[in-house]
Amino acid sequence: MIGYGEQLKDLKPGAGKRMSVYNERQALDGLQRLDSQAIGAIYDQYFSEVYRYVRYRINDDGAAEDIASDVFVRLLEAVQKRQGPQSSLKGWLIATASHAVNDHLRRHYRRPVEALSDSLPDRGASVHSEVDSREQNRLIQSAYARLTPEQQHVLALRFGQGYSLEETAAHLNKNINAVKALQFRALASLQRQIGEVNYE
Amino acid sequence: MNNLYEALEICLQDIEKGADLESVLFRYPDLADELRPILEASAGAKNMAVPAPSPDVVRRNRTKLLQHAAQMREANVKSSRRVWFASMRRLAVTLAVVALLFVSGTGLVGASSNTLPGDNLYPVKRTWEGVRLFFTFNPMEREALEVEHENERLHEVQEVLAEGRSTEVDFNGLVTSQNGNEWVVANVRVLISDQTELRDRGIGVGSPVRVRGITQGNNIVLAERISLLSSDEKLPDVDDSHESEGDNENNSGPGSGNDGPGNEATETVAPQNDHSGSGTNSGTNDTTSSGNDGSSSNDNSGDSDHSSDNSGSNDSGGNGDHSGGGDNSGSGSESGGGGDDG
Repeated sequence: MIGYGEQLKDLKPGAGKRMSVYNERQALDGLQRLDSQAIGAIYDQYFSEVYRYVRYRINDDGAAEDIASDVFVRLLEAVQKRQGPQSSLKGWLIATASHAVNDHLRRHYRRPVEALSDSLPDRGASVHSEVDSREQNRLIQSAYARLTPEQQHVLALRFGQGYSLEETAAHLNKNINAVKALQFRALASLQRQIGEVNYE
Repeated sequence: MNNLYEALEICLQDIEKGADLESVLFRYPDLADELRPILEASAGAKNMAVPAPSPDVVRRNRTKLLQHAAQMREANVKSSRRVWFASMRRLAVTLAVVALLFVSGTGLVGASSNTLPGDNLYPVKRTWEGVRLFFTFNPMEREALEVEHENERLHEVQEVLAEGRSTEVDFNGLVTSQNGNEWVVANVRVLISDQTELRDRGIGVGSPVRVRGITQGNNIVLAERISLLSSDEKLPDVDDSHESEGDNENNSGPGSGNDGPGNEATETVAPQNDHSGSGTNSGTNDTTSSGNDGSSSNDNSGDSDHSSDNSGSNDSGGNGDHSGGGDNSGSGSESGGGGDDG
């Protein structure tokens, strides 16, 4: 019997696309039957990635762990209802994680979600000049939390997950030029928010 | 603006490959002032990246997930059991209802199996016969069933006549005798009246017919309608020829040597003859009946009809018929005496 773990190893770089889709389908079939081996294999494959995405977006280890874990429970329930992923399991997991984070932020931080200005940031602000590394991270986290969910999402994918422009475009369901523009505006807003947080 | 987005992407890729900020900005002197804070922000965004979760976190949440899956499996099993039990309950109720209907239905059919025409359950019997016939697809079996049903019709008529009931009957059979207005069909005496509807012409002895009529108290069926059977209709399984001979013997017995002419006379269907000979016959019958018991008088009256028919129907074959008539009329009194003996 071929284990799901062995099959899913083929999903890693180097595996052909057809094999990847085929194995993912097999894993989803296992999920449909609530097969422990299939569930465990998928979890092992994707949990770390989902957790890092969630943890990037919310600066809270416990909440990130809960949300990442909940994403996989939602996967089980969705597959049981035949509403699970149709093409990309990872895309479904990241999208679900993004929605879960948005829900979490909406409940815990009643922040305005209107788009922040994407005008060019204050050129005089210098990240490295005044604060040490820890304080700088806190500053960036605070600034990041002020971005719109979409801006947070694109930065999490590109800089938190290290996805390529193409992969990010696929997750966002946008073309590459749109992702370039979104990425630029997100970084400009982040830089601006860093200045504002620093000023406060 | 697109150049700015494109330049940013190229700078980010170069930094990713290990280039420093100043060197990448050096390539875009016109955009350097705009790109510098963006690239600094990107460095901050990259610094936010978190490492993989600790093995404890992975293991703990893995266990939780598998436990959750086990609970879902259990819930599914319970749910499917509930569905199964619900289905079984529905099936049991359905079977019970079907069994009840079957028992009550077969009980009704069973109760109706011995009914006779005019009984309340008689329609159930006929309906059940129709149902059986409908679901019999083998041609041989179907034919046998049809014959069985016709036998049953005949049996019913005989039963009803034996009980002296007056009720509507119908049955099939061969015409074995035609004595004026009284025929014998499948051993059952059938009385033809003015109201009898003879649907087909040329009905003679040996013709397969369907008789519909009302049983009379005197062991005879008053015919309402007589029609020839179509080729696909079945006759009851009775020995008509034997009974016919018996009748002939009865009829001709007393008139010993005149069997031939007498029988020939009976094979002619001539209702008008009845009219011509009716006066004499009725007188003869009355006389004969008065001297006989019920059972024997029938034969005698038949003989009397022979004589009357013969006397009135001598269209062509005169001699034998006349003599037969004379003998027969004479034999009427003889058989009347025989009846007394019986």
